[in-house]
Amino acid sequence: MDIESIRKEALDNLKQIKNKEDLDLFKKDYLGKKGKIREFFSSIKDLPIEEKKTLGQKINQLASEIEEIFLLKEKNFNKEEKEEIDLTLPAKPTELGSLHPITQVKREMERIFQLMGFSVVEGPEIEDEWYNFDALNIPEGHPARDALSLGKTFYLKGGNLLRTQTSSAQVRYIEKMKPPIRIIVPGKVYRYEKTDASHETNFFHLEGLLVDENVSVANLKAVLKKFLEEFFKREVDIRLRPSYFPFTEPSFEVDMLCTVCDGKGCSACKRTGWVEILGSGIVHPNVIKNGGLDPKKYKGFAFGLSIDRPTMMNYKINDIRLFHSGNLNFLKQF
Amino acid sequence: MIFSYNWLQSYFREKLPTPEKLAEILTMHSFENEYIEKKGSDYILSIDVLPDRAGDCFSHNGIAREISVLLNKKITYPKIKTKEILKDSILIDIENSDDCLRYTALIIKNVKIEESPKWLKERLEVCGINSINNIVDITNYVMLETGQPMHVFDYDKISGGIITRKAKKGEKISLLGGKECILDENVLIIADEEVPLAIAGIKGGKKAEITNETKNIVLESANFNHKLISTTARRLNIRTDASLRFEQNIDPNLTSYAIDRAASLIGLPSSTKIDVYKKKLKPWNIKINIDEINKTLGIDIPKKEVEKILKNLGFIVKENMVIEVPTYRQDVTIPENITEEVGRIYGYDKIPLTLPYFSEPAKINYDIFWQDKAKDIMKELGYSEVFGYSFIGDQEKNDFNLTVREIINPVSSYYKYLRPTIIPQLINFTKENLKYFDNVKIFELGKVFDKRERMVLSGAISSNNYLLIKSDILALFDKLGINKFSFGKDEIKIGKDVIGKVGIKSGITFFEIDFEKIQKNAIDNKEYKHVSYHPIASRDISGLIDENTEIEEIVSKIKNIDLVKSVEVFDVFKGKNVPPGKKSISLTINLQSEEKTLDGEIIDEIITKIKKTINWEERK
Repeated sequence: MDIESIRKEALDNLKQIKNKEDLDLFKKDYLGKKGKIREFFSSIKDLPIEEKKTLGQKINQLASEIEEIFLLKEKNFNKEEKEEIDLTLPAKPTELGSLHPITQVKREMERIFQLMGFSVVEGPEIEDEWYNFDALNIPEGHPARDALSLGKTFYLKGGNLLRTQTSSAQVRYIEKMKPPIRIIVPGKVYRYEKTDASHETNFFHLEGLLVDENVSVANLKAVLKKFLEEFFKREVDIRLRPSYFPFTEPSFEVDMLCTVCDGKGCSACKRTGWVEILGSGIVHPNVIKNGGLDPKKYKGFAFGLSIDRPTMMNYKINDIRLFHSGNLNFLKQF
Repeated sequence: MIFSYNWLQSYFREKLPTPEKLAEILTMHSFENEYIEKKGSDYILSIDVLPDRAGDCFSHNGIAREISVLLNKKITYPKIKTKEILKDSILIDIENSDDCLRYTALIIKNVKIEESPKWLKERLEVCGINSINNIVDITNYVMLETGQPMHVFDYDKISGGIITRKAKKGEKISLLGGKECILDENVLIIADEEVPLAIAGIKGGKKAEITNETKNIVLESANFNHKLISTTARRLNIRTDASLRFEQNIDPNLTSYAIDRAASLIGLPSSTKIDVYKKKLKPWNIKINIDEINKTLGIDIPKKEVEKILKNLGFIVKENMVIEVPTYRQDVTIPENITEEVGRIYGYDKIPLTLPYFSEPAKINYDIFWQDKAKDIMKELGYSEVFGYSFIGDQEKNDFNLTVREIINPVSSYYKYLRPTIIPQLINFTKENLKYFDNVKIFELGKVFDKRERMVLSGAISSNNYLLIKSDILALFDKLGINKFSFGKDEIKIGKDVIGKVGIKSGITFFEIDFEKIQKNAIDNKEYKHVSYHPIASRDISGLIDENTEIEEIVSKIKNIDLVKSVEVFDVFKGKNVPPGKKSISLTINLQSEEKTLDGEIIDEIITKIKKTINWEERK
């Protein structure tokens, strides 16, 4: 066989190839180790050197010619094999896990306070009357004790009760730690309530406490404003109003300028322009004393806020009962 | 508490700010205003007087005093003119001066019971009190004005003198309004020689009631033990405008002022005051330190300003900053109370914002660290976090045969126990959610209560495939760095300690693991394992092993053999064709070297070694 006929045969064959399998076969037949071109090379090995040289060159030329066409064809085949897609077709939603919105908000609050040097600690949910009431300067016979203990507290058979606020951890930690104390105590609290869209029996509180030699209302204001600004991710105006809690003196209610109407008055702030956000104050000397410290030397500020309410504000949730509903149509939104 | 704007205006010659403005000033310095409502030519101000200030501010006098301090306006209290000329008297006896601190009475004769004048009726109406007759209305008016509740008896219906004493068990009283009440020895009463005339501080009785025929009256202005009144009112479930005030610390020195005011409004000659007051309450002193006040507030209020605030509030500033507290401010007993007074009047809005000095960085709480980590892993595994109440009822208790701790005062019988496990709630949630979802995977990391309060991690999936749960637990433990654990039939163990359980109920597979034990064994420290690029060789083997040998044990033994990458169990059975005392097991063994491609010879060698290690018997 001469070069020309091999060339013709190969090119004719290539032209007729319609699929990838045939193309692979062709590669084996002509370009492979035992293919026709190789075979042709071996057939000329006994020719005189000059002849071998010219013929060799020609075979090489033929080989690269065929290979070039072959590669082109192969590229075309590969292109044709690409799958067609159509993104306009409907797709099933991916099944993801989710974290409870309260968990997410609690983490965010913890993160912000940690940045300000507050360590996160936890206290027991079953408390005794001492830490829940007496240690917080709410002795037996005190009107605030009656208001909390008679109407709002769950009592357990065999003694003890479910904490009505995470403040119950205050004295536990004043006892345990050495000043400066900077802690927050997030956790579940319990109140006897008729449940409705804004009242629950199981909900979440975050208590903050700072005890040091010099602590002032000015410090309290700065910390709370900073926290609220980080939390709501915007500039926030706060105001302190006189209030009364047995465990702080002076006591304040902290309002935040309504973020919905910027203080102009809307339904979210009951037209007052302000939203009540937390209770706070300078720790009552009796509480410092109950924690085993000298109230003449140490002062502190404390604050307590609901975790549920800012969560509701954040996501515009209108029913607090959804948090303990176990309803995935609700929970998977977060 | 309701206040009349016009009434408050009457204390001042100068015009007060608008009701809205006034309410805002009070909100920022004294008490929150709840609402304002126009009523005729007057305005209702609903003011949420703080509980420690009820003693002096459940009165127009008290709120007017606050306003005068806040606006720096001169206050004029009503003028009192009495004519104590009657010779009449009545015997007053107090059985126990700890129950009745003071009893002041006055006799007025020849009164004419009639309708009240228009101005009086209007004032009462704005404050939400019904007009009854001129005399009763005046006592109510004086209560709204001074904060001192008063009572009036028909003098001619009283047999002998008046005694305040504890009731006898079973003693009865017919109350105004018709209700009959059976008393006991815990109830303080006002009585004559024969029967009870009134429940002290709470409500009057029929016996000496004022009627249209009444000619001569006895005015009562007394002070009772506030704790006693508060428990009695709650126990008898009777709340009146009087009891509301007597439950607070009212100044016992107020009785005579109030009775004079009432007599002056009635305008008729009266007897001299009959006043039983054994332990007179005198003003007390508190030593303050201006620097301390300023340090606590975080501001620099000049001494002059502090003194001015305290004087305006009725305190007397004596030498060396000793402050004499007026008896109407029984809430002020320690220097911190004075700090509050100064701060609120000066204005909390004037206090600057100063971040506290940096002391030391926050400490990482590893409990929370691991809780967060576990929650994140559960989420990665496709679980959604739920919260159940800490309460369960009989249904859960009986279905799961639980030992529970009982709540004395549950909100409902469905919530009368503390949960000792989360599983019943997770199963209920799963069932509920299956109405809307094809697949449900949920978890809770929360407190349960048995012998003690402890944290558990529980999960449930809506299929009865316990191996799916096992896969998830394996993934969870792997991510938490827990490696020393084993599985029993339905248990998860660390060493010999059972740390968790898996179960199936109504087609729902669940698990619950003691989180404290997980946390103890978790490690936040991963070490890189060499990645091999050599091919994996797989071999399937089937054979017999001892019936009692646990599969878990076999698998872990094989895994310890060199070059074994992983082991999968794809079949286990007993019975047909399997000799007694044995079970058949089929495994896929995956082998991989880090250095080379394994050849047949080495593979066979390892398989032989595996069979030897686990007492393998070929199937016949």
